[in-house]
Amino acid sequence: MKKYITFLPLTIVLISIQCSSEMDDTDNLVIDETITTEIVSDSNSTDNNNNSNSSSSDSDSNSFNHKEMLTNWVDNIIIPSITNFDNSLEIFEESATTFVNAPTTETLSNLKEAWLSSFLKWQHVEMFDIGLSEEIFYKNRINLYPTNVEKIENNISDQNYDLDEPVNFSAQGLNGIDYLLFGIGENENEIISKFSDENLNYGKYLTDLVDKMVSLTSEIKLSWSDEYKSSFISSTDNTASSSINKVVNDFIYYFEKGYRANKIGIPAGVFSDKPLPNRVEAYYGKNYSKILALEATDAVNYFFNGNHSNDTESKGLSIKDYLDYLEADKEEKLSEKINSQLEKIKTKVSELNTNFSEQVNQENLKMLIAYDVIQANVVFLKVDMLQVLNISVDYVDADGD
Amino acid sequence: MRKTVVDYINNKKTHSSTLAFFRVTFGALMFLSVIRFWSKGWINSLYVEPTFHFKYFGFSWVQDFGIYTYLVFVICLVSSLFVTIGYKYRISIICFFLAFTYVELIDKTTYLNHYYLTSCLSFIMCFLPAANYFSIDNLISGQKHEHIPAWTVDTVKFFICIVYFYAGIAKINSDWLIEAQPLSIWLKSKYDLPIIGETLLQQKSIHYLASWFGMLYDVFIPFFLIYYRTRYIAFFFVIVFHVLTKVFFPAIGMFPYIMIFSAVIFFDSKLHILLLEKIKMVLNKTLTFFRIKISNTSKTVYKPIIIKKIIPFILVTFLLIQIVFPFRYFLYPGELFWNEQGYRFSWRVMLIEKRGETTFKVKDSITNNFFYVKNDDFLTPFQIKQMSFQPDFILEYAHYLGEHFKKQGHKNIQIFADSFVALNGRPSQRFIDPNIDLLSKKESFYNKNWILPLNDVIKGL
Repeated sequence: MKKYITFLPLTIVLISIQCSSEMDDTDNLVIDETITTEIVSDSNSTDNNNNSNSSSSDSDSNSFNHKEMLTNWVDNIIIPSITNFDNSLEIFEESATTFVNAPTTETLSNLKEAWLSSFLKWQHVEMFDIGLSEEIFYKNRINLYPTNVEKIENNISDQNYDLDEPVNFSAQGLNGIDYLLFGIGENENEIISKFSDENLNYGKYLTDLVDKMVSLTSEIKLSWSDEYKSSFISSTDNTASSSINKVVNDFIYYFEKGYRANKIGIPAGVFSDKPLPNRVEAYYGKNYSKILALEATDAVNYFFNGNHSNDTESKGLSIKDYLDYLEADKEEKLSEKINSQLEKIKTKVSELNTNFSEQVNQENLKMLIAYDVIQANVVFLKVDMLQVLNISVDYVDADGD
Repeated sequence: MRKTVVDYINNKKTHSSTLAFFRVTFGALMFLSVIRFWSKGWINSLYVEPTFHFKYFGFSWVQDFGIYTYLVFVICLVSSLFVTIGYKYRISIICFFLAFTYVELIDKTTYLNHYYLTSCLSFIMCFLPAANYFSIDNLISGQKHEHIPAWTVDTVKFFICIVYFYAGIAKINSDWLIEAQPLSIWLKSKYDLPIIGETLLQQKSIHYLASWFGMLYDVFIPFFLIYYRTRYIAFFFVIVFHVLTKVFFPAIGMFPYIMIFSAVIFFDSKLHILLLEKIKMVLNKTLTFFRIKISNTSKTVYKPIIIKKIIPFILVTFLLIQIVFPFRYFLYPGELFWNEQGYRFSWRVMLIEKRGETTFKVKDSITNNFFYVKNDDFLTPFQIKQMSFQPDFILEYAHYLGEHFKKQGHKNIQIFADSFVALNGRPSQRFIDPNIDLLSKKESFYNKNWILPLNDVIKGL
């Protein structure tokens, strides 16, 4: 009889162990935070700022160093990109002040230059929709388009607006400023004269928009505190809430929505009855949609391959290395397919008109071809890559068997 | 032969405690499962929130009740509790079976083998005298039967054997045994497990070992559970195996526990008596109610009264269907794992790693104007995921989109799928013929010839 009884406690013990390990999934974030304090000191030693050869040296070892990959992402890509954007905004803010105080052709042209510089830097930031960025809808506040002209004009004439209200997200950011700098008059003189008339309040609104971008960005920059950074880096698990899964999901989401759909697909009319040429990024500036899209193509390429933001010749561990590790026994490497597709994308986008809006109006077929080339890489990233990495799409929560 | 069968059905008996123990554990696990499901917010996200549900062929009449879908879960919850304690058992288990199965039929996106297992087990239990012992019903009626016909317990055992055995032979294929796929992909991604994650689980040899062990376990465990000499060691393996699956695949949910507790039914009824006595002791300490003695213990064997001949007939038919149904895929050409014609309801558990990306082109056949649909306008992320690699989902959704855009005033609508799927570590390839207007195809049991063939061969069952 006695041996019968032994089974029940055994079963119960095993099950209770399991139940607790299942709960780990949901409790991950909390646990991470408690671990954080212990790891802070550790993070300095694992800094890999100059590990340009790490990818080759690691590929033959038995396991992949996930923490090193996260460290590379944070130290060499994410934080430098945010810092670069933040620095460019400082110059942008100065130029804006100069311009508002004395609107001339020269100060306007300086301001436009600073605006473009920030816009280009932004392309390296948008895909990292994590942490505070996600919470405060950072990307929607910096780069939501089409911008709502009516809303902007109403805000300016009423002088009663709260830029933190979601209804005003489409009336601010880089595209809101695009309208202010390029769209409020028929020509440059008209625009300058509107800014010169202080009663019209264009200058004030411009200053408010720039200030808002500056304050939001410094908040984001501050959110990457040492503490947050080390908790982020130590979250190497393969769960829905872990850093790797979140960043990979954000990366794919960005490639699919922010890049493919917003920049090319929507203006080309892929999702609508007719093409929508007024939906391009920086629509009023006219000549910037292509240069911005090309910069974003580079940003995608750099992140996938682990190139450092401030020194793109240097590389650290990346998704590419991770894929190569997992596909060590395969002849045809997925990472090569993705990279060669990225090259094709760059070629096709380069062939487009500097103004996508004009491209849509003149020969939309070329836009559609560019879209198809991008879509092929969406399949590689979403289907092939997620299969190899065995990362699930993060917002799906249900049992499987 | 006929004589032995009749003799077996009429005279072979077993102790009532076996089925009673099975009832208590099954009911309790179901109760916990429903609570777990509820607490994770899945009733809302899977049944209430979606505007569109994917229907099983022939079951499009099964609708969700909006917010009142919660009531169906309340029925599941209450009935599973009643099953556990054996209160109004027969009506409770019938309610549970109907309510649970109804929920499953609302949306096939949520199809899981262990939900199907639950439906099947509760269906069988509708016909079994599982509350003849250790139940509130006993206390109320004041009598219980010591024994029940052996076929009642044997039906459950036989069914569990089918589940294991079929899950096992489904693994006899070249992907599983020769390529160690999909376990290679799955185990490598468990690098976050302590100690073994970065070491053992990264080894190809371990992937092979796990694949072969999994196959052999599933095929042979029913026999080792039936044979009394190997039963203990077999049950030890049952625990090890299912706990391991839970460690490696936390998303597998309650399945391991259902299988572990179900396997206890293979033991001798002495164990069940003992275990029930233990439960009774615990209850006696807390609840005085259970101290009431049942005075009138009937020494006779319980016999189903009204439809006694029909019940064995129904159960035998059910088991025969279970034996034949998983092989229906022989009727379809092409690779089963790819086209999934005859994949579900066949105990193919944790067998394939499949992902897809499927978008739909809505075209005006006269003007040739077209646009692509944003799937997230219509489906939940979970539905998008499941739809993207299953042909019947793709077809049903295409028709739904057709109706939707027709109502919006679009004319001469054609719908084409731009679909890419990857299976068991193979590169993605085109899945659906992009030149076929899906609105011209109707769902049926006929072969779906608009699925493009897999560019590879998987050998085996």
